[in-house]
Amino acid sequence: MGLVGIATEKILSSFSVFLFLTILLLAVARRISTSVLLFGLQSAIIAAEVFATAFQEKLPEAYIVGALVFAIKVVAIPRAFFLLVKRLKTVRDVKASTTPTQSVFIAAAIIYLSYAAVHSYGGAVHVPDDPLAAAIALILTGAFLMVSRKKALMQMLGLLVLENGIFLAALITTFGMPLVIEIGIFFDILMGLLLMGIFTFRISDTFEHLDVSKLRKLRG
Amino acid sequence: MKIALDILQVLMLILGAPLVGAIIARLKARLQRRRGASIWRPYAELFKLLRKEELVPPTASAVFRLAPIVLFGATVCAAGFVPVVHASALLGSRGDFFLLVYMLALGRFFLSLGALDGGSAFGGMGASREALVSSLAEAPFLLGLVSIAVLAARADIAGMVAWTLGQDVFNISAVHILAFTSLAMVALAETGRMPVDNPTTHLELTMIHEGMVLEYSGPSLALIEWASAIKLHAMLALLIALFFPWGMASSGSGWGLTVALLLYCAKTALLMVLLSVIESAVAKLRMYLVPDFLGVASALSALAVIFTIWVKR
Repeated sequence: MGLVGIATEKILSSFSVFLFLTILLLAVARRISTSVLLFGLQSAIIAAEVFATAFQEKLPEAYIVGALVFAIKVVAIPRAFFLLVKRLKTVRDVKASTTPTQSVFIAAAIIYLSYAAVHSYGGAVHVPDDPLAAAIALILTGAFLMVSRKKALMQMLGLLVLENGIFLAALITTFGMPLVIEIGIFFDILMGLLLMGIFTFRISDTFEHLDVSKLRKLRG
Repeated sequence: MKIALDILQVLMLILGAPLVGAIIARLKARLQRRRGASIWRPYAELFKLLRKEELVPPTASAVFRLAPIVLFGATVCAAGFVPVVHASALLGSRGDFFLLVYMLALGRFFLSLGALDGGSAFGGMGASREALVSSLAEAPFLLGLVSIAVLAARADIAGMVAWTLGQDVFNISAVHILAFTSLAMVALAETGRMPVDNPTTHLELTMIHEGMVLEYSGPSLALIEWASAIKLHAMLALLIALFFPWGMASSGSGWGLTVALLLYCAKTALLMVLLSVIESAVAKLRMYLVPDFLGVASALSALAVIFTIWVKR
């Protein structure tokens, strides 16, 4: 046990707080690159939680899942996003339809709501409160980002944040899904990202912008 | 013995204050590959200003002369609430954290009055901006302190610090992280540091604090500069005392106090490095974005207060 054991316990008990911080920062981020960095940070926290779970429950498979999370969500996806931002030569602003103050209050309300939702379970399930609330808050925040940001890139990022939340919820409640399914999901994400990347290229080619709210008319 | 220590603490906050500001300026200079001024220069400047003649605008009333004195007194009084090397303070049992917040507010109020009384256009502009920033910073400042006070079940700063000292080092809760983030943002706004106000220049039309002190000269200017240095030092000490107090002396033994003092210096140095990196990396916010910045701080601190419900005592 020793030092690694203590570190594991601390990661499991208090890292979800940092997830809340990334949620609040995502709500106020003005630039696409900042949001992508925050998403990478969020994924790194989740990867740490996967490794901690693997160590505590002695699941060798989970180490592979953790490595996959790190490779795909912390390294590959942010890099792909930066490449997209560079290649699309789009404006850096996320084009939020709410002001930062409104967004941060909505994010705070989401966090409060998810705590209230989790709290009603009480001791019925043997699941720690904080990480489960963080998972629900991530799902809701992802949805909120997709609704309130007008840039197509930010909608992709919202979807990824939402997926992070689902992944975390699975990790907390069942110590992660079987490895085969996990790999399938990662493959899905990569394919989805590829398709969405192609779509954003098409949108910016045809309309010369990425503002989804202006996509009203058909163009040949 | 205890009284002597408390007095020593306040003296440290007051006399060390110009040094803190100078070290930050020096670190910033080094980060920008300049050599920077000597770290003892602010003391020399204070002595120079104190010996100089004071010029008062012909239109100014007595408020203009009174404002720096009230500002200095209020700031020193606020510094008296902050523990540095052990978990008590000179004015620790005389008032709670509300008094600390409003002592600082009193100082700002009088400085704005003095700036308006000076009669220059820049003074009025700076004063109105200062009023906006301070009224927006007040809510997160209070709420952040309230959340810690609720956890500690104490209202005086020294008691809150004593409670935190009794906690496990690793036992960070959501409340502490949220409250620290919002109070750090408030500290930046309160002391007029980079994303809100630029402390190094009065050549910008966006200046706040420097705009207010344009009409002052001589001993009055010295008092104002010294007061704002004390405020910065006291805010740093407050953040350290509330969130990283570990290592503070529990008894009055010489060994424990030496360790506490060295640790305090190390923690302050860390915060100063952090501050200078932030100031070198971040651009100043547009004036109309400052309410957003402080709105985020308010949301964080409100969340911190709400979270005290969920944290088990």
